[in-house]
Amino acid sequence: MSGVSKAPRVLRMSYLAAAIGGLGFFAMSVLLLGVWSGRVLEHQIRATQPAHPLPLTASEQRGRMIYGQDGCAYCHTQQIRYLDRDVKRFGAATLAWETIFDYPQLWGTRRIGPDLSREGSVRSPDWQLAHLYSPRSMVRDSVMPPFSWLFDGAADRPKQDARDLLAYIETLGRNRELAGKEGEARARAACECSDDERRLAFDSPTLNASPAMTRRHGDYPKLASSQDLNRGRQLYAGNCASCHGARGQGGGAGAAGLSPRPTNLSEHEYTLDRLGSALWNGVAGTAMPAWRDLPVQDLSAIAEVVRGFHTAEPEPTVFPDVFDLGAKVYAARCSQCHGDTGAGDGTAVDQFPIAASNFQAQRLNSDATLRVLRDGVDGTPMAPWTRELSEAELSAVASYVRRFYRK
Amino acid sequence: MSSNSTVASPHVEARLVYAHGLAAIVTLLISVGFGILAAVELIAPDLAGSSPWLTWGRIRYDHTQGIMLGWLGNAFFAFLYHAVPLLTGRPVTSVRLGQWIFGLWNFAVVAPGWVLVLAGFSQPLEWAEFPLVIDVFVVLALVLVAIQFLPPFFSRGLEDLYVSSWYIIGGLVFTLFAYPMGNFVPELVPGARGAAFSGLWIHDAVGLFVTPLAVAILYFVIPAATRRPIFSHFLSMLGFWLLFFLYPLNGTHHYIFSVIPMSAQIGAITASTLLGVDVILNVANLLLSLRGSGFFQRDIGLRFVGTSAVLYLIVSIQGSVQAQMSVNRSVHFSDWVIGHSHLAMLGFASFAAAGGLIHAWQRIPWARYDAMLLNWSYWLLLGGVTVMVLDLTAAGLVEAHLWQSAAPWIESVRAAKPYWLIRAIVFVPIVAGFLALLCGLLLGTRGPALQTIQGTIGLGPIKEIAPKLVSVDQGRP
Repeated sequence: MSGVSKAPRVLRMSYLAAAIGGLGFFAMSVLLLGVWSGRVLEHQIRATQPAHPLPLTASEQRGRMIYGQDGCAYCHTQQIRYLDRDVKRFGAATLAWETIFDYPQLWGTRRIGPDLSREGSVRSPDWQLAHLYSPRSMVRDSVMPPFSWLFDGAADRPKQDARDLLAYIETLGRNRELAGKEGEARARAACECSDDERRLAFDSPTLNASPAMTRRHGDYPKLASSQDLNRGRQLYAGNCASCHGARGQGGGAGAAGLSPRPTNLSEHEYTLDRLGSALWNGVAGTAMPAWRDLPVQDLSAIAEVVRGFHTAEPEPTVFPDVFDLGAKVYAARCSQCHGDTGAGDGTAVDQFPIAASNFQAQRLNSDATLRVLRDGVDGTPMAPWTRELSEAELSAVASYVRRFYRK
Repeated sequence: MSSNSTVASPHVEARLVYAHGLAAIVTLLISVGFGILAAVELIAPDLAGSSPWLTWGRIRYDHTQGIMLGWLGNAFFAFLYHAVPLLTGRPVTSVRLGQWIFGLWNFAVVAPGWVLVLAGFSQPLEWAEFPLVIDVFVVLALVLVAIQFLPPFFSRGLEDLYVSSWYIIGGLVFTLFAYPMGNFVPELVPGARGAAFSGLWIHDAVGLFVTPLAVAILYFVIPAATRRPIFSHFLSMLGFWLLFFLYPLNGTHHYIFSVIPMSAQIGAITASTLLGVDVILNVANLLLSLRGSGFFQRDIGLRFVGTSAVLYLIVSIQGSVQAQMSVNRSVHFSDWVIGHSHLAMLGFASFAAAGGLIHAWQRIPWARYDAMLLNWSYWLLLGGVTVMVLDLTAAGLVEAHLWQSAAPWIESVRAAKPYWLIRAIVFVPIVAGFLALLCGLLLGTRGPALQTIQGTIGLGPIKEIAPKLVSVDQGRP
């Protein structure tokens, strides 16, 4: 047995050496991967950031805190990686300066839900609130927890906390959007990155690739009439019924919180073209998102189901004098928005966040048309006309607009 | 030295071993409870109703913080109260200090940390979710822990040098510095720059706190329970130095393909690859030490520890593989990683902690002990962790496949649900296993277990076999 060796002092020193040497390794890691990386990033940020990035307001700051304390970052990343698969799904790869106001950072390391780096402009505020209040009322198969304590008992009665959180969500991707073409060009020129990184950070066709982002204009595919009703029903139930109701009658689980309310599909006739644009581009200014992540044949199948909801009605007989009255009223009162030919292309529409109905592409049932003329449509610029128009004028114009529809 | 009359060394503060051991299992069961709730809420997301206290995010924070600080922290301290006096031949600094550490750790860190997180006060940083006010107490407690356990290693007349001591010193000292780095710096340094530090801490929490102390247990229990020296002291040393050189450099591999400088990413990937090699050396050394010892039958504590070594090997090689760009691009962000972390924490670390706890427990003369229940615990936990890791790995592969396809995002959520269901059901064997561990240490009789141990694996201070297993001047036989 070694017993009392002559080396105790050496042994003590060696433990000390281990402690100090090991500490040196730790310091080295912090210096190399933390401090040095930080300096490179700082340099990169200075060279590439836009002149005036918007800091968060007090409300947005509070929203960020709620986002942090309730674990949003543990299912949603805020970091689009320099990979084609990320860029294709979410948009241009995240630049170093995009998170400069994040104390602490919210990059995240797990994606159960999608990345939110560019969520700000994707969906309408009422969709976001309804989704926070009750996620499955918007997305049937979502596993997101409800954040209903941020509300006063209903999706359209958000408390300050919910407004703050919404305000924060609306900021996501905002600064990159605001940087505009000049900002992008400046960052692109200053970026010390490889060709591949430059391509992924700057050459993405859109800054925001979210397939749900609504856009008011834009090409959309031509839908074909589809035989696959089963597939269509399945897709409709999974994606559409939560707002439009199981049989397209409106009033799905999430409908109550939305403004304007989801359309009652059963009282509309739609052309395939109209459904193509609504499904592909969404309906800007409403909670209707775009569905560009579904294949075109799936969209065709959904369109078939939607068209099937309509209950046909006999075409009413319109006497010439009523027709003339309708034409007169329409020209005076409706054409500014809905256009001379009912195509929804009046001179005033660009001033409104929501496009006017295109009567050539969709036709509302007669009684529903009268209801809309009398009551207006909540949440849209369509106002009630009962003060301005007599009963005779209302029913005349209601029957007149039916003429525009082109099957 | 003759000591078979007294079973435990007089230096061992058995009451502190016992207190931390119990606290470890109680906080473990609570932390597992949080984990179960989080798992079930993924299948039944409306379960928590409109209560912010039970919302998934907060529960998730409490789950991992409880496992790291409550369960593993307490279990490691229990082990240290047993091992440090035996490794150094010196008592720990002070029993009174020990009581303070116990109180501080459990009643100023873990319990209030849990409550504050549920009440909405937290920090959205991985392995750093307890709010800053709690971090202050953690750092204070870590300072006291260093004062409690380190001086014996540096006192005069130390005769033996053993690799467990190096891991203990390393783990305690580095965590003292890494913890504030990970918890405070990202609050002061924003965005991408802060993430560079967060990445380090995500790895340091596991690599500089959990791993060194778990490996210290492996290197301690294996020779102590088999009464045979470690296979190679050279490999032990090599393993130690490589681990402490490589582990801190791994951190950035949590942010591959990010905006963090590519050279830092490549460096971290290289370190991750080499780390796998280092663990192969270490585990080979441990398994060769176990060879022919009949460890599986010999003693339940030893069986936990030997299994931990195998799981350590698997999880480290998996880690090296998933740090490679070609793999990382697919599986990152997916359930694969959740499987990996459970293999590390529920597999490797928890098996080491349980083995160390059982080993120390067996040597408390008045503690109860039931080998059969512990045997049940072993099989239930091994079955549970195996199913869970396989299930989550498969889920991760399915998610990765769907993410790179053109399928809508929600398809990946739909596809994961059956796997999440299985993961939630696995709570049954895991909870049963941990309950069996608790009962195995609380029930049973006070006498027979000790006699069994005396007969098969021997008792008495480790110093008695120290020359065979630890001395530097003798080297390998």
